[in-house]
Amino acid sequence: MRIDARQDYLKEAMSQFIDLENREVSVAALHDEQLYELELERIFTKAWLMIGHETEIPKVGDYVVRLMGEDQVIVARAADGQVHVSLNVCPHRAMHVCLADSGNARVHKCIYHGWAFRPDGSFIGAPIEKEQMHGNIKSKAQLGLKKARVQLYGGLVFATWNHDGPSLDDWLGDMKFYYDMLFCRTDKGLEVLGPPQRLTIDANWKTAGEQSACDGFHTITLHGSVIDIGAMGGESDTEHESAPAMYGINLSGNGHSLRCIAADTSWALAHGKGELTPEERLEAFPPPGITPELLPELRRNMSPEQLHVLAKAPPVVGGMFPNMNILFIYSPLRDGTLGSALVLHSIMPKGPHHFEWTTYYFAEKGTPEAVKVMMRASATLGTGTSGIIEQDDSDTWPHMTESAKGVIGRTETLKYQAILGENRPADWPNKAKVYEGFGKDDAQWEWWLAYHKLMTADA
Amino acid sequence: MSVTIATINYTREDQRRGEVPYGSPVYNSIMGFLIREARLLDHRDIKAWGELLAEDLQYKAPVRITRRVQQFDQEFGTMGHFDDDYNSMMLRITRLLTTANAWSEDPASRVRRFVSNVTVWETEVPDEYEVSSYLFLTRNRAEAKDYKTLSAERDDRLRMTKDGFKLARRSILIDQVVLGMPNFAIFL
Repeated sequence: MRIDARQDYLKEAMSQFIDLENREVSVAALHDEQLYELELERIFTKAWLMIGHETEIPKVGDYVVRLMGEDQVIVARAADGQVHVSLNVCPHRAMHVCLADSGNARVHKCIYHGWAFRPDGSFIGAPIEKEQMHGNIKSKAQLGLKKARVQLYGGLVFATWNHDGPSLDDWLGDMKFYYDMLFCRTDKGLEVLGPPQRLTIDANWKTAGEQSACDGFHTITLHGSVIDIGAMGGESDTEHESAPAMYGINLSGNGHSLRCIAADTSWALAHGKGELTPEERLEAFPPPGITPELLPELRRNMSPEQLHVLAKAPPVVGGMFPNMNILFIYSPLRDGTLGSALVLHSIMPKGPHHFEWTTYYFAEKGTPEAVKVMMRASATLGTGTSGIIEQDDSDTWPHMTESAKGVIGRTETLKYQAILGENRPADWPNKAKVYEGFGKDDAQWEWWLAYHKLMTADA
Repeated sequence: MSVTIATINYTREDQRRGEVPYGSPVYNSIMGFLIREARLLDHRDIKAWGELLAEDLQYKAPVRITRRVQQFDQEFGTMGHFDDDYNSMMLRITRLLTTANAWSEDPASRVRRFVSNVTVWETEVPDEYEVSSYLFLTRNRAEAKDYKTLSAERDDRLRMTKDGFKLARRSILIDQVVLGMPNFAIFL
């Protein structure tokens, strides 16, 4: 009954919340509790969600507890060596089975009545086997922890409750070609630089979600302080010239997005003007996260087409629909050299007015240890809790959410009317939607279209 | 055990050496340093606070992890909310003081730092002290009626110089696994 009522609500609601013709979204969408409940069901049980990295759990029995929407899950490496994701809710009486954030356990035993589960979620049994305390109506095979569907990609753990939905490859679509340049470019792959930062932001999750889809324009004002102290280059005090990196190539597909910044721009910012061919520049100035010793691996793992993109304009920031934010950026290191910060965030809803912002830092495994330490410090200085870039974002999203509490405020709209339009350069691969120029609203609007599609999809 | 967990070595009470007596001149001057530091930060005299930092500074706030009690010594991660040295702290200070666009603290939060439970130990280096203190911090922003609060233990190394004490090392051990405030645009 309740679900039917909600579907009626939804048919009404989507046309009121999203104006497809004028590319506007009602601010009320940042506040509405019924809409939020539906998002949990329709987005967060249907989408592929990034919930960690396999290097967090290298050994059999290692586990971390993570969120998928508001549901806690156990991400564990089982005896088969594979990563399994199971709901952290005991099928007996709904107690949390894991009480720690991470650890190692061959058996997860519920502290309430002692029901025990393997790291793959399967039910071992209840205490006093001969009394069969789980009864005989359901078999042991039916009494395991609820299992999510899991797919590793570049070591990242993706999970979904949508067992019959698209594969991760189909979900990523053409964008996978570009994500490979970030996550699948070396022989050994990425590793986490420690357990993630977690914090609560008093804002609706979509404020950060839609921003991750290449909101480039906020850089020159909200992050003006970072430009002011010279961390983004530029010589003139006119706004756009202070941020030459505003010109680039935005990519979008299925709501996912990436922003590519021309390598000659980054090169000029770092080293001044210089005449280099794309090939020479790739050698002298590899993409963020690739140290010189990893260049041969990059060349081996990437196709010629991907290498062309990396030499011309590597992807550096963006997101993955619905709730992942990516920054694989150049960033100065402690020793005075220009290094990188490799950062992923997940945005997990915690009610209509709060979300958890989780921050992971990475390095390629093949990076020298001393460089990893400097990359971690550099990422911490720029992003996450105390990051001089992102602390301004975390202060903005709550204001937007607050605006939605006013009955008049929520009649305003979020506007995505700065349109660049698809304009793929001739030498750019014919993959995903391509927007070259000063970053505009195209990719962010595509994020909302993906949201709209999932919210209105037949259940 | 995962490769990513850092161990924090708590020194047990019976293994501590050279505790500086409560009320002694050294104890009092260190207490004075901690109070002065809190006052400077609360009053946003960040430049003067920066002058209290030693050039070999390590300033860290490791992430905390909920662990089973058997793994109590593995509660802190290698990643931190701060992972700073002197130069990066100076960059943060410069950003706050010299730009008109540091929006996370403009308008500024109203912050109070309450420092208590101070213990001081001598170290292997003359004129350097290990200092443990509790920090309780309240932060109020804009027209919020409630406060964001934070409690932590700070393990410091203070060095006496001709210009007074300098902070050479600070590990901020925060009592929250999921922070309740959206950023650390403030110093702890």
